Amino acid sequence: MLRTYKLLAGASLGALIAMTGMARADGVTLRALMEDVPETQIIESMLPDFEKQTGIHVEFEKIGYGDMHDKLVAQLTAPESFYNLLEVDFLWAGEFPKAGWLVDLKPLIEQSKYDTSAFIPSTFTLLGGTASDTKLLPMYNYSMGLIYRTDLLNDAKLKDSYKAQFKTDLAPPKTLEEYVQIAKFMKANAGVAGAAMQGQRGDPNSMEFSNYLFSAGGSYVDGSGKVTLDSAEGKKALDLYVDNIQNGAQQGALSATLDDTLRLMCSGEAFSMVTYWWMLPQIDNAAKCPKAAGKVTLAPMPGGSGESGGWGWGIPKNTSAESQAAAWTFMQWVQSKEISVQRALKGHAPVRADVYENAEVLAKYPYYKSAMDIVSGGKSFPIFTYSAQYEDTLGAQLSLAAGGQAKSEDALKAAAKGLEDLMKK
Amino acid sequence: MQWIANLDREWKTGWAFALPGFSALAIVMGFPLIYAALLAFSSQTLLHPELSPFIGLANFASVMGDQRFWDATRLTVVYSVVTVAGEFLIGLGIALLLNRTVRTKPIYFAILTIPMAMSPVSVSLIWRMLLQPNLGIANHLLEVGGLPRVDWLGSPALALWTMAAIDIWQQMSFVVLILAAGLAALPQDPYEAAEVDGASSLQQFWYITLPMLRPVAMITVVIQLINEFRTYDLPYVLTKGGPGTSTEVLSFFAYRRAFLGLSLNEGSAASFVLLLVVLAMTVVFFSLLERRR
Repeated sequence: MLRTYKLLAGASLGALIAMTGMARADGVTLRALMEDVPETQIIESMLPDFEKQTGIHVEFEKIGYGDMHDKLVAQLTAPESFYNLLEVDFLWAGEFPKAGWLVDLKPLIEQSKYDTSAFIPSTFTLLGGTASDTKLLPMYNYSMGLIYRTDLLNDAKLKDSYKAQFKTDLAPPKTLEEYVQIAKFMKANAGVAGAAMQGQRGDPNSMEFSNYLFSAGGSYVDGSGKVTLDSAEGKKALDLYVDNIQNGAQQGALSATLDDTLRLMCSGEAFSMVTYWWMLPQIDNAAKCPKAAGKVTLAPMPGGSGESGGWGWGIPKNTSAESQAAAWTFMQWVQSKEISVQRALKGHAPVRADVYENAEVLAKYPYYKSAMDIVSGGKSFPIFTYSAQYEDTLGAQLSLAAGGQAKSEDALKAAAKGLEDLMKK
Repeated sequence: MQWIANLDREWKTGWAFALPGFSALAIVMGFPLIYAALLAFSSQTLLHPELSPFIGLANFASVMGDQRFWDATRLTVVYSVVTVAGEFLIGLGIALLLNRTVRTKPIYFAILTIPMAMSPVSVSLIWRMLLQPNLGIANHLLEVGGLPRVDWLGSPALALWTMAAIDIWQQMSFVVLILAAGLAALPQDPYEAAEVDGASSLQQFWYITLPMLRPVAMITVVIQLINEFRTYDLPYVLTKGGPGTSTEVLSFFAYRRAFLGLSLNEGSAASFVLLLVVLAMTVVFFSLLERRR
């Protein structure tokens, strides 16, 4: 009889676990290498709740973006990875699955009946997900837009001066040309950098330039996979990018990273920055950025489209089955609607449509409406096996052009050829 | 095994003492070197880490067919010569000054050891903050002094020299310590004789100090040249090889090939070229040193 009760109790518990999809796994420690950004800190602050619910301990090792790829590759090619939970940038979403480093999530999603329908479809496709193949679960998006100072744009003296100079009103830019013109004007007349630009070679300048390219109507590849970077639109984008770095941006823009531009904007020393939309709550924060808070707003890139990127969660193959199960439990929890809403209330950049539509979230952050436009209008950097290398190839050419060491047409040709070569590799 | 029994006892004892050291070297240096050599001649990449057929010199041809490899090589040579010259000249000057100091010498040495004890990554991060063009202290001080701000790491014309200056700042203390030890060990008799003959301080330095210090100086230069040829941390943290390619030294080029290009084999080939250059340089320096003796 006792045995029957035990069996019934066991079956009930099993059913409960199956229903909630949350397996307890006391004693398991998940280790993840995470980019040191607000999103990571938001999740980190909620980890004690997860541990209480599941018994799974999660440790985040936080570092700068630039060091992440190599550290991860070293672990993923080792016999056993130290990190048993992965934060994967969309730029590596071609490389990691191709190398066979990631566990296929499809069977896990099916077994646990995890509902992925609320995820914005583009956040899956951005990470290389297809109907038959899912290696990464979207974590957060980092679509890019324009953050600018409204106080400077509405300043009466500056407005008069701008009108006198350009015979048009100083207003939010509608085109890329207008934006660069305003940035240069602000640098010359407002005593601030017109644009806080992240021109360091590699990821910073590649991401930044992509916004200029999409904004100017250009693209990296067309629908058939043909490289289209070296076009009239590409040339226009690069010329304007170079012009802004040389005449509108802060001194030292060619070596600046995201952190540098954030500090500059935060200190009230810049008019604008093309950046990730979730930087707005960081800058519009009176405690952290008293000189800029209350004076900034967010808009899609002039011209409509900016760069859209995102991070995903993945599970490395070279880890134990136990830790893989624990990683999946964590992923379900952290991307659930309930936790996503809690994260959004702290500034998370959602990948679920139901979070953008949540009344509580919209009441606290009305600009999430603009954010949704930015996410839905965003275009992506080419994602393929050698995307990370292409960032460096493109970044070097952009840097050469912006530093006056190469003509923009030559840099554009070399960047386009570099893309063709790597796509054929 | 009769031949072992026939060996001289002293010879056997010598080898017995040397064996642990050789074994450690074989494990720590020999294995990675052989593995890297195998990689350099194979088609193995991070995407295809399975069976790797021998492909001869193809990786070397691919690396050396890239114009950026030659640009990086030229830059590495210039960078190494400038930094070693700077470290040596400043280091020698400080070592000579310290040679005359007696009571406060330990304090100077303690201060000089600080940069040497710091990791190059920490040094780079600290300097990156100090030289930040808009919010850094260096430009602030220039502005206070009525001078214009300088774009230390963002100017293609200046970035390499800024990096070299930081490197000199850090590495110089090693040169000072070695040269100071060399100076302290010089015999005093020649100086006393020179004093009697009425030689000036400059003449004593030129005709006595420099020739006697030459072996120590040569070894210091060789060690530092090897160090500088391998410089990786500074461009990685400070500039990522930019602006453009103005700070892309050879080790950074090899890193790019290996980890961004996912081609450990080509990265290994580039590293082997670097190793051969350094080896050739070391041989030349030591043969020069021997000839002078």
